[in-house]
Amino acid sequence: MKARAAVFLVLVAACGQGKAIFNVDVYSFMAGTGKDKISYAIPPLGSGSAATFQKVQLPPGFGSSIVDSVRITIGSADLMNTGGAGQLGFSFFFAADSAGTLSAASALDVPATSVSGNNTVPVTISGDLSPAIHSLFTKDSLWMRVVATGTNSGATPLTGTGVLTALVIRVVLQDKIL
Amino acid sequence: MRTAVVALTLAVLALAPVRAAHAQISFDARRLGMGGVSLGRDGNASRYNPAYRAVKNRSGLGTGSPKVTIPIPIGLYSFFRDHPINQLTHDPAFNPDSAGFNPVELLNLVLNPPIFLDIRKPPAPTNDVEFTIGKNQLIMNLGQTRVLIPDQSFGLGTSGRLLDLGAGFGAFHVSVMGFVNYDVRFTLDSALRSVLKDSVPVRADSSYFILTEAIAQTGLSPTVSYAARLWHPAALEPTAGAANGAPNPNADDGVYFGAAGHYYFGATYGRGVGPAGFTVGSPIFGVSPSVLFDGVVHTSNKPNGRGIGADVGLAWITGPFEVGVGANDIGAQLTWSDTKVQRILYDPNGDSISTTLLANHVASTTKLPISYIANASLRMGTGTTVGGDVFNAGRGTVIHLGAEQRSGPLALRGGVARDQRKKLQFGFGGGLRFGAFALDVGVWTSSSTLADKRAMTMATSISVY
Repeated sequence: MKARAAVFLVLVAACGQGKAIFNVDVYSFMAGTGKDKISYAIPPLGSGSAATFQKVQLPPGFGSSIVDSVRITIGSADLMNTGGAGQLGFSFFFAADSAGTLSAASALDVPATSVSGNNTVPVTISGDLSPAIHSLFTKDSLWMRVVATGTNSGATPLTGTGVLTALVIRVVLQDKIL
Repeated sequence: MRTAVVALTLAVLALAPVRAAHAQISFDARRLGMGGVSLGRDGNASRYNPAYRAVKNRSGLGTGSPKVTIPIPIGLYSFFRDHPINQLTHDPAFNPDSAGFNPVELLNLVLNPPIFLDIRKPPAPTNDVEFTIGKNQLIMNLGQTRVLIPDQSFGLGTSGRLLDLGAGFGAFHVSVMGFVNYDVRFTLDSALRSVLKDSVPVRADSSYFILTEAIAQTGLSPTVSYAARLWHPAALEPTAGAANGAPNPNADDGVYFGAAGHYYFGATYGRGVGPAGFTVGSPIFGVSPSVLFDGVVHTSNKPNGRGIGADVGLAWITGPFEVGVGANDIGAQLTWSDTKVQRILYDPNGDSISTTLLANHVASTTKLPISYIANASLRMGTGTTVGGDVFNAGRGTVIHLGAEQRSGPLALRGGVARDQRKKLQFGFGGGLRFGAFALDVGVWTSSSTLADKRAMTMATSISVY
């Protein structure tokens, strides 16, 4: 960790004034681990949610930096519905630890998408994250909780799996690194 | 320990564009205004050409060397106006806690002390840098700063003589001088260069390093030198051919030869070679990179370096024309009879550095780099003097060309130079002489900054003739 910090700090410092931009491919850390999937099963005329957690490692040493912006620039998911009809949306929560994500305010809400039958519906995820959580991105690591929230408008259970297919978070820092 | 090694390695890399510009450093505004050339018989000519020990200085002939040159540090006024001395502790330029702190600017300040006035400051790079990070992906886009990543070896070094204490009798001179030589050279391996310069993705299970070669040696050198005019035109009396008893302007005509033999007593020496960098695992961000540091270091056990070397030089002066050539430390090779060889290796498991003795009490040899200079000047009789020199002190050839036009007390100067980085630099200036005193101003460009762009600086000095 310290060696990695040194790599980034020295390179950023050598580049003088400017911004340090980190495109963190969060999905690459989730893919293949099962954390990229959220299964849902919502009873008829009801609502429910399911979540997945992921720890995000960030370049260390930027604790004094000022975060200009944090944005999901590339994000997508497939809603692989296997039965029923309803709507599903995603919300992203961030905190310093996993437990904190349970009480944190949502940093980004993706509008609900309609699903029905045995179909796969792609969803685009993008947008600026709430400034309230910017300071978390100056830390060495943080936790992300992705919540899939659904409402079932039909008479049969709404079942399926939401599968993340891409998630890149772009962090722009004023590189006050020392 | 690991952090320190990686930080040091990458700091060296990041500061790669720091290049010495020894030839540009002078406090003489006249010389700086002519692109670094000295039309007198001082400076590099007398230092590197032993024949000039027999040549009289041209002081008093207008184009000659002053007895004393006193720099006027007008740059300090500007510096302390921008950075009040009573507020330095809170100055953003020096306070790492400040958002305005820029380590690159600070290093520029160290490399370019504000003795002279910066007319055009070396621009500090302002740049966004972008890193793309994935579990098995790392791409660095350094933006405009990529131009600072060197394609070839880089480093710093010099070979100098610290003092020269002795006495002369006739054409001979016996002295003891100190010598010091150091040379540090870094070479990026091609993979690291591609990552930094071309934004090529870092590959898993790969090493990225800088190959470092460094040597430092110092000692004393008893020297016997000879310098004399071997030939001169007949009947050149000091005042012959001059009107009104004035000094004969051709009194220095002739061919001069100088040579010196050195016996080197090496006091201490060290030499190290090896890679320093890091190795990434697989996946790249699955494990922390491990430090790669593996060097072989030679050091002297005792101050017992021995060797011989020689300097030789020639100068020819005929009327207004003068040319010289000289070389130092020819064949200077030192044998160190008692040295040890150690391997210094970073152990990532223990996060420590281990030292292994490979050989002890063995002999090693080192060389001092040959320095050479060729200089020429021509007084054209209309108050115009032109000159130039080619100079190499072991770190690349520097070429200076300059001219001075005198008209009464006024002097105008200009020059051009090719520096150690093979970049053209320019100088211009002027001077006003009042009897034995002269006030000179010189403006020159330089590229010895991290910004890799020319800066322009103005120097002022007072000369006493």
